[in-house]
Order: sequence, then C-alpha cells, then structure tokens
Amino acid sequence: MILFLGFVLTFGSSWAGLVYAPRLQLGGLDSVGEAGTAQAYPRVRTEQEERGKRVYEANGCLYCHSQQIRSTTFGNNADIARGWGRRRSVPRDYVNDQPILLGTMRTGPDLANVGQRWSADWQHKHLYNPRMMVPKSIMPSLRFLYEIRPMVDGKPSPEAIALTGAWAAEIPEGSEVIPTEDAKALVAYLLSLDQSADLPEARE
Amino acid sequence: MVPAELMVRATLLFSVIAFGGAAALVLAWAVQNGQFDNFTRAAEGIFDADEPIGQPTDRTLSAAAGERDA
Amino acid sequence: MREMKPNAVPTAEEMRRASLERVAIDASCRRAVLTWYASAVFWLLVGSTFALLASFKMHIPDWLTESGWLTFGRVRPAHLNTVAFGWGSMAGIASAIWMMARLGRVELKYGGLLVVAAMIWNIGIAVGAGGILLGHSTSIEWLEMPRPAPIILAVSLLIVSACIFVNFTRRRERHVYVSQWYILGAMFWMPMLYITAQWLCVELPARGVVQSAVNWWFAHNVLGLWVTPMGLATAYYLIPKVIGRPVYSYYLSIIGFWSLALFYSWAGMHHLVGGPMPAWMISASIVGSMMMLVPVGAVAVNHHFTMQGHFHELKHSPTLRFVVFGAMSYTVVSVQGAFESLRQFSEVAHFTHYTIAHAHLGMYGFFTMVMFGSGYYMIPRMTGREWASNWLIRLHFWSCALGIIMYFVTLTYGGWLQGLMLINPDVKFIEIVVKLTPYLHGRSMAGCLMTFGHVVFGLSLVLNLSGVGKRFGGGR
Ligand code: HEC
Repeated sequence: MILFLGFVLTFGSSWAGLVYAPRLQLGGLDSVGEAGTAQAYPRVRTEQEERGKRVYEANGCLYCHSQQIRSTTFGNNADIARGWGRRRSVPRDYVNDQPILLGTMRTGPDLANVGQRWSADWQHKHLYNPRMMVPKSIMPSLRFLYEIRPMVDGKPSPEAIALTGAWAAEIPEGSEVIPTEDAKALVAYLLSLDQSADLPEARE
Repeated sequence: MVPAELMVRATLLFSVIAFGGAAALVLAWAVQNGQFDNFTRAAEGIFDADEPIGQPTDRTLSAAAGERDA
Repeated sequence: MREMKPNAVPTAEEMRRASLERVAIDASCRRAVLTWYASAVFWLLVGSTFALLASFKMHIPDWLTESGWLTFGRVRPAHLNTVAFGWGSMAGIASAIWMMARLGRVELKYGGLLVVAAMIWNIGIAVGAGGILLGHSTSIEWLEMPRPAPIILAVSLLIVSACIFVNFTRRRERHVYVSQWYILGAMFWMPMLYITAQWLCVELPARGVVQSAVNWWFAHNVLGLWVTPMGLATAYYLIPKVIGRPVYSYYLSIIGFWSLALFYSWAGMHHLVGGPMPAWMISASIVGSMMMLVPVGAVAVNHHFTMQGHFHELKHSPTLRFVVFGAMSYTVVSVQGAFESLRQFSEVAHFTHYTIAHAHLGMYGFFTMVMFGSGYYMIPRMTGREWASNWLIRLHFWSCALGIIMYFVTLTYGGWLQGLMLINPDVKFIEIVVKLTPYLHGRSMAGCLMTFGHVVFGLSLVLNLSGVGKRFGGGR
C-alpha cells in the first residue's frame, strides 16, 4: 500500500515536472537586444503580420507545416541540410508567439525560415494555386483568399497576381486576381518568418 | 512580477496540490475502507443470481433460429 | 459487499429478484444513456464525413477550394473535435453512466439533468465545430474549438462529473470495482485537465514553448486519462460479464489502474521530441512512456487470460467481438507508443503519417471499437428490443475492423517511408510528396470502409430506437 501512495505523489509531480518546472525555467525568457528597437530579436510583429498569423491559424497551415529546426545531432541533421534553417530553433525564438505554432506534421516543408526563401510575388502565386509554382504539390489551393474582378479600364492593377498557364485561362477574359487583405497579411506573416538571428544558446 | 504571471503560477500550484492531494486522499480512503482486502470477491461482485459465473450473457448472433455465424 | 457463493445454487426467488433489480437499474438509465449514445453516433457520422473530406482533399487538393470553410486546414480540426469530443467522449460518458449504476447496484438519479447536460454538450460541439469551419480555430491542437464552445463543454462536463460522483455516493454495493476506479479517475481528471489547459493555452496563455508543453501535456492526457480509462473500464466490465467469468487477476487490474495514473501523465512531451524544448523534459517523457509498459502489460495479460478458453464466445456475441478487438488494439498501440517515444525511433517517425496511424489505432482500433461493443450490449437492455438484423451487425464489424487494419497498415508503412526520406537530405522534398500519394489513396479507401460501417451502425441504431426488432429476451 505504501507503493500505491508513492504512485499518487509521483502523479502530482508529473504536473509539476512537465508544466511547472519548464515554466520556471523558460517563463522569464525575453527578446535579446534593446527592447522596442529594430535590433531586438525576436522583434514584435506588425499589426499586419499579426493578422496574417491569425489567417495561418484559421486555415490550419499547422496541420501540414512545422515551424522548428532541429539540432544538428537529430535526424541526420536533415533539417539544416535541407536548407530549412541555418541553426536549430530555441525557446527564445517563440517568446512573442501566442499561440505558438511549432506543429507536429511535415506533409509540407518546415516554415521556420520561409521568409528568407521566397518573394511576396511567389508566395501569392503559390497560395492562389500551389501547382502553378510546384506542379506536383498537394498543398490545398487558397484561392478563396483572392478576388477575381474585372480589370479597371482594361488595364491590370499593380497588385494583380500574374497567372500563368492553365490558371490564366481559367478566369474570365479581362478580369484579374487581386489578393484580399487576408492574403496580403498572410504573406506578410510568411515573409516575417526568419530565425536566422545568431543566438548564443543556439550554437552547437 | 506582473499580475498575469502571478495568476499563472497560482493556477499551476493549485492544480499540483489538487491533483496529488485528492489522489492521496482517495487512496487512503480506499485502503482504510478495505477496498483492497479481498480481490476474489471483488472480481466476482459483478455477477448476479440470474447471471451467474459460467453463464454467457450475450448470444445475440446465435439467437435467431437456424442462423449460423459468418 | 454482497456475498457470492459461486457453488450455491440460487433459488428461483433470488433469481427473479436479481433480474428485476437489474432491469430496473437499466431502465433508470434509459433516457440519459440513449441521449448520450445517440448523440455520440450522430457526431460519429458528422466526424466521419469531415474525415473523408480531409482525406480526399489530401490527394485532390483543388477540390472544394472556392470558399474557406471547407479548406483542408479547417476540415481536419473539425474532424478531430467532432470525433474526439463528440463521438468518443459522449459514447464514453454514456457507458460510464450505465456502468456506474450497474456496478453500484442502484438506480440512476438525476437522469433528467444528464439529458440536459447532453444537450448542452451537443450545443458546445456544434458551436465549436461551426466556429472552426467559419475560421475561428485556435490552431492549438486538441483545443481548436473557439470560444464560447469550451465554456459550454466545461459546464456540461462538470454537471456530468458531479452527477456521477453523487450517484456513486448513493451506491448500494460498497465495493468499488476496477471499472469504477477508472471511471471515477476519468471524471476527476478530465474537468481538471480541460479547464487548466484551456486556461493556460487560450485564456491566460503561457508564453512560447511553455504553451506547447501545456498543450501536449493536455492532448496526450485526454487520451491517457479520459479516453483510455473509459475504454478500459468498459472492457473490464463487459468481457467478464459477457463470457461469464471473473477477471483473471483482479490484483493486476488494480495495479494497472494506479500505474496508468502515474505514468501516463508523463508521456505527452514526446510529441515535441527534437523540438526547442529543454532536453530533460523530453527525457522524462520517454521514461514515463517506457514505464507505461507496466500497466499495459497488466491489462494485456489480464484480458488474455480472462478470455482463454472462451474465445468461442466471439462467435455469438457482437459485444465481445468489438471489445476484444479493442482490447487487442490497446495492447498493440500502447507497446508501439512506448517505443515510439524513443529518440532513435522518433527521428524517423516524428512529423509523419506514422503518428497519424498510431493515433487512429488508439482512438479507433481501441476506443471506438470498445464503444461499439458497449453500445451493442447497452442499447437492447434500454430499449427492450433486440438488434433488428444480425447481418447488419456483421457488416458493421467487418467493415470497421478491416477498415482500421487497412488504415493502420497503409499509413504506418507509408509514414515510415516518409520518415526515412525526410531525414535523408538527398531526397528532394517534392519527391516525398509524390511517393506518398498511393498511401494517401489507401487511407481514403480505408476511410470509406469505416464510414460505411458507421452508416450501417447508425441504421441499426435508428431501427432499434424506432422499435424494430424482437422483444429483448436477455440475449441468451
Ligand atoms: C495538405 C497539406 C498542406 C496544407 C494544409 C498547407 N500546405 Fe503549404 N505545402 C504543402 C506541401 C506538400 C508543400 C510542398 C510543395 C509546394 O511547395 O507546394 C507546401 C509548401 C508550402 C510553402 C513553400 C515552402 C518552401 O519552402 O518551398 C509555403 C510557403 C506554404 N506551403 C505555406 C502554406 C500556408 C501559408 C498554408 C496555410 C494557409 C499551407 N501552406 C497549408 C502542404 C500543405
């Protein structure tokens, strides 16, 4: 029966161990560099980027994309070798994230540093229809974030997404594809994803 | 320390005590109450006079006349 | 405790009284249990629909993309929440209500309140799933339902817990059977878990990776301290009851209960293996996961030896088929889970469909199958009708059993391949995507099979509830 009592106390301790202790260890983390300046890392996101993060959450990008680079000693160092990041991710990279979007699935590539990889234009085309940029992609099209509307005076607006191939033929003659505010915000958020800042605790 | 931070800690501390404490109390009760005294009787407690040990209680698939099992 | 003298032949009067008593107890649960179970089956059908949509969308990515509410990233959490909190939790609560009444040998009180709680729960799931589809998901896994759904669910959960505890104190059988231990544990843990996790992830969020720790501590404990106890409680009651043989070792079953309570709660962090977490946390979790082999071993040995010499009953009893299938899956999934937490194993399996297969073996192969079994036993005793068609029962069993086996094998194999390719930087990412499509098709086919089974079961249930079928005659 003493044995049982031991069990019970240890159960309470898992809570303490897994939740309380990390909190003590990590809860106080903050940005490095002078807070509020452009040098601070991680910097506070702009309003638009924050909105984009919400679009990312609402549309479940998390279920196919992770945002974490694993250590050089983990899994043949594949994360870094694939060019997904230059260094491993550390807790400080996420201090401004609410909710945090580490993810648990890699149907698609890791996005922790995707801001370094593609331009806004590429991102818009890819979101509108991933197969326009990557023919064999199975990523869902997010065209509901784009508006198809007739061109003004028959001229494309500067914001319009330049469609190619079959996708250009799909929309009515004389119309164009314009990103909604949500789409612009999402792309701003994707462009902000960048963990390249050198942090002492991330060196291995 | 910001109040929100304090709240988080209070929540955590409270749940540790509640989880561990409640389980300890329950176990102490169970031992005192003799819940772990006779395991044979305990295991047989789920049977009734009309559904005694040795009698299956679900023959649904064989109930219909002449029906054999797939 | 009631005296049981297995050798003494009971008199006719004793038998009559026992039978009347049991029938009265079953009747007292009727409204509450039927409401919870029928709602559960409704959500199962809804959840399966979401599942199929999500599965097909994975290989037909341009299907239904005109508007946002059916995009993959919304349908996928809608699936999880409707099956885990709609189907699984509601079916589990139905079984729990009934078993607690039977094992306490007392008629259920506050059945009306439990019906109200079921309605509140249904509203919660509808609001939550609707909110996800409308684009308000929180994107915190297992806690996606947006406000106010969690509050609605928490209210209902507290009512259910309170009813179960109050009914427990009214019990006439003094002894607490192992199933009751499990149910009481679940009813205590779940409200705590749910409310604290909701609090620390959404309402008053912990910052950064601490939130991930709370998140996976919660998500894994929903499986370990809510779903698993309810499934095992049902198996520990129904297997002995159906075959008419007491559980092989009651002592082992009690050890199993307390060691589950202890070890499972440590296991969640392996979902974050390799991530930006302090290494000791993951290590603690790995130890916890390996220790899970103790309770799992206890359960596996126990169920096997209880069944030994009675396997022929599988021919006669649909309940037993489902429950034994579930119990066997439990052993497999738990042993697999313990090894999956190991680092070498995770390097391959993490971030892949392998994990998805594992999760389905647990939630479906184990829990869902046990809950089907429990439905097959409870419902006729409440409606007073036998199941309308044995043919439908067999169809249900075989399509679900083959469906989940196919699902598991396909995605386990595909997921392992995916993992090997992911950690080989020479394989281009898009090649992995392409190589995986056959397995995604396989998953969709398996999903169709299972969904077909659910429709068949839904049909059986509707027939039974609308009074089709012979008068119930004790199932013998
Ligand atoms: C069904 C799974 C799935 C979902 C959901 C999904 N993606 Fe993807 N994503 C992929 C796949 C597969 C690729 C790789 C092929 C490609 O580039 O299109 C990819 C690639 C990407 C890329 C290019 C990455 C690189 O390094 O080349 C970006 C950016 C991206 N996704 C963003 C998103 C965003 C934003 C969302 C949410 C709105 C999202 N994805 C939802 C599967 C998915």
